[in-house]
Amino acid sequence: MIRFLAGRLLSVALSLLAASIIIFLVMEVLPGDPAQFILGMNARPDTLAALRTQLGLDAPPLLRYFNWLFGMLHGDFGLSYTYRVPVSELIMQRIGVSLPLAIISLTLTLLIAFPAGILAASKRNSLTDVGVMGVTQIGVAVPNFWFAIILVYVFAVTLHWFSAGGFGGWNKGLWPGLRSLVLPSIALALPQASILARVMRSALLDTLDEDYIRTARARGLSRRQALWGHALRNALIPVLTIIGLQFAFLLAGTIIIENVFSLPGLGRLIFQAIGQRDLIVVKSVVMLLVFAVILVNFLVDVAYVAIDPRLRRRA
Amino acid sequence: MTLLTIKDLRLSIGDVEILKDIDLSLDAGKVLGIIGESGSGKSMTALSVMNLLPQAAQRGGSILLNGEELLQKSEREMNAIRGREIGMVFQEPMTALDPLKTIGHQVAETILVHGAASRRDAYAEADRVLERVGLPRDRFPRDRFPHELSGGQRQRVVIASAIALKPKLLIADEPTTALDVTTQARILELLRRLVDEDGMGLMFITHDLAVVADLADAVAVMRQGDVVEAGPTREVFRTLAHPYTKALFEASSHVPPRDPSLPGGPPVLEVSGVVRDYRIAPTRMFGPAGAFRAVDDVSFTIERGENVGLVGESGSGKSTLARALMALEAVQAGTITLDGKPLSDTDLEARRKLQVVFQDPYGSFNPRQRVDTLITEPFHLLGGAAPRGEERQRRIDKALTDVGLSPSDAHKYIHEFSGGQRQRIAIARALIIEPSLIILDEAVSALDVSIRAQILDLLAELSDRLEISYLFISHDLSVVRSITDRVLVMKSGKIVESGKTEDVFRDPQHPYTQELLAATPSLERSMAGA
Repeated sequence: MIRFLAGRLLSVALSLLAASIIIFLVMEVLPGDPAQFILGMNARPDTLAALRTQLGLDAPPLLRYFNWLFGMLHGDFGLSYTYRVPVSELIMQRIGVSLPLAIISLTLTLLIAFPAGILAASKRNSLTDVGVMGVTQIGVAVPNFWFAIILVYVFAVTLHWFSAGGFGGWNKGLWPGLRSLVLPSIALALPQASILARVMRSALLDTLDEDYIRTARARGLSRRQALWGHALRNALIPVLTIIGLQFAFLLAGTIIIENVFSLPGLGRLIFQAIGQRDLIVVKSVVMLLVFAVILVNFLVDVAYVAIDPRLRRRA
Repeated sequence: MTLLTIKDLRLSIGDVEILKDIDLSLDAGKVLGIIGESGSGKSMTALSVMNLLPQAAQRGGSILLNGEELLQKSEREMNAIRGREIGMVFQEPMTALDPLKTIGHQVAETILVHGAASRRDAYAEADRVLERVGLPRDRFPRDRFPHELSGGQRQRVVIASAIALKPKLLIADEPTTALDVTTQARILELLRRLVDEDGMGLMFITHDLAVVADLADAVAVMRQGDVVEAGPTREVFRTLAHPYTKALFEASSHVPPRDPSLPGGPPVLEVSGVVRDYRIAPTRMFGPAGAFRAVDDVSFTIERGENVGLVGESGSGKSTLARALMALEAVQAGTITLDGKPLSDTDLEARRKLQVVFQDPYGSFNPRQRVDTLITEPFHLLGGAAPRGEERQRRIDKALTDVGLSPSDAHKYIHEFSGGQRQRIAIARALIIEPSLIILDEAVSALDVSIRAQILDLLAELSDRLEISYLFISHDLSVVRSITDRVLVMKSGKIVESGKTEDVFRDPQHPYTQELLAATPSLERSMAGA
């Protein structure tokens, strides 16, 4: 187990290193002057030169890369060009919105998908099954931003249960902050939950057809007991793979959803930074998102081993 | 007293009639063998007793267990009966256990689900039952997972979970079909012992007459959803009153007519000093990789028109050797020459001399291609010289005719054929390129005995007429005996004995060969002992 973890962590580190190289190459080394890009075409030559010095662009690329890399390891992401504050400070503020949003959405996704998938599979071809499949079909088809607009219209504009956008902040207690994340989380979670529910259903149906389910039934387990006792855990293996993939989509979704709800999160930060050509912020936030995706996939790998004894080697 | 009485049992799934008026009975402490070919309804009869049938199934008639009507039990009542009153063991030990649960858990589950003991007592009892089926705790700790056990050991776990509550009736559906002969012999011994010790009734379902001949007190022969003959085992087998029983009996010991003379000339295949090592992943990170010698210094030759058998149990290296002969894997030492030319994966000319027919007639064809496309597949070995147009058509027609099919079958899809016909198509695919040697890798093992007899006849005829040699790989010794001239016995990567088939079978020299032959169920032997 320890060797497995060490191996996986090594591969996490290597993936992060590879990602940092690609990001650096694309942003700073490929043709095009970052300073020129930030300032626009009409910049004065002396401003350009000043910015180049400030960005450290005079140094050779290899040195710049290592400076960036070691800076990040120390939590120094550089200075945002537009905000004039350390990027790390910006990220720390924004993560307070984006991380809870991601966690709530993922939790919602699981809370909806698991019961729906299990219910549909255990009552295969029944009215319940058809209903779940129909609703999730719509969930898969509807884009989350459109869904977000509908939610705003119904629950904010008409019912006034939630605000249409903006963030209440955490300093006034838990509820104002949480309250402004409810609608965005639902908008993010529903399409993902629909996909996952369908995957859960088909994975369960596959395992329910396995020989060991029949063996379990021959021991006297009811259909229900066989499903909970044997099928579910086996079905989790393909489901986990999808959850890992979905997390990346969830992050991508936050960029749109945070804009729809005017939430000051990472997604909105990167969106604005791109608009303002703040390459320093873009670079760091992309790196952070890459880190999040790789971390989640690492956790999925660990979960595989926790579930499936065939992946563990007996010492 | 009568434990199980099945009377006028009918079963249909949708509009299809599966069973028609089945009558069977089984006494406590006795073994009832149910014999039949695929589609005879023998498994469905067992599943009807368990009521583990597909959803659209409709049962009629009567199934009495100790005088209680099972057909009228609710699903909840059946849950209480399954595992406690009736245990069941299935064919595929490799997939019959939940891969994520320990063996101890899966045996204890039978006890726990019936609320027969506390959690702690259930695990203690599971431990005793596993001991009883031959899995001592010191060698098989109860926290082992199924993938850490062999097929035979897994089948013991399944048996343990079926008998944990000492059911009155045990149903075993082809429990040894997927196992090696020596493992099969031990499992059969175990089942017989459990029946004798517990006074349990055993319903033993099989396609293999020789297996039940030794084991069963009474047999029932099924065909197309009907019991055609039933009675005490020796009586049924001695009188062979029903023509179908007789046909089955003859087919299982069928010896195809063969021309014993060989055309002579240089050998077709020469294998000399072949070694095949597998790399084993290092146990430590950056540690040295180990090696496993699957084929160890193997040498033999096959003459033109000669049929050579290769027997051995799983893990003996016979499949690895076959893969090396097909040049699918590189060998670490030794040479393989075919018609005098060294074999390599790039030399198409040498490879076209060798074709192969595999075991599974269902899995070895692309279902979306027509038969003509399927059987002309080897033509890619001819490169630019591949026949086209009329010549291609002529070769297709000839190959199909040679294997007893009709040229008009060329435009059909594979699902339109039965298992036996599919194996004919597989043989046609091998023949079409006019090879010198065909490797038959368990090529008749998945077939019913009557179909198997026909395919063996076909193979013998083709070998005599076209002077083709076979390397006949099988775990089924009786089949090897019936069709081969010479036999090689393989164990742990080495050929431990070889010689003329009749000599080896009559007077085996190596202890392993003797063990294999002793473990093989034989109709003649059990009839002679009667």
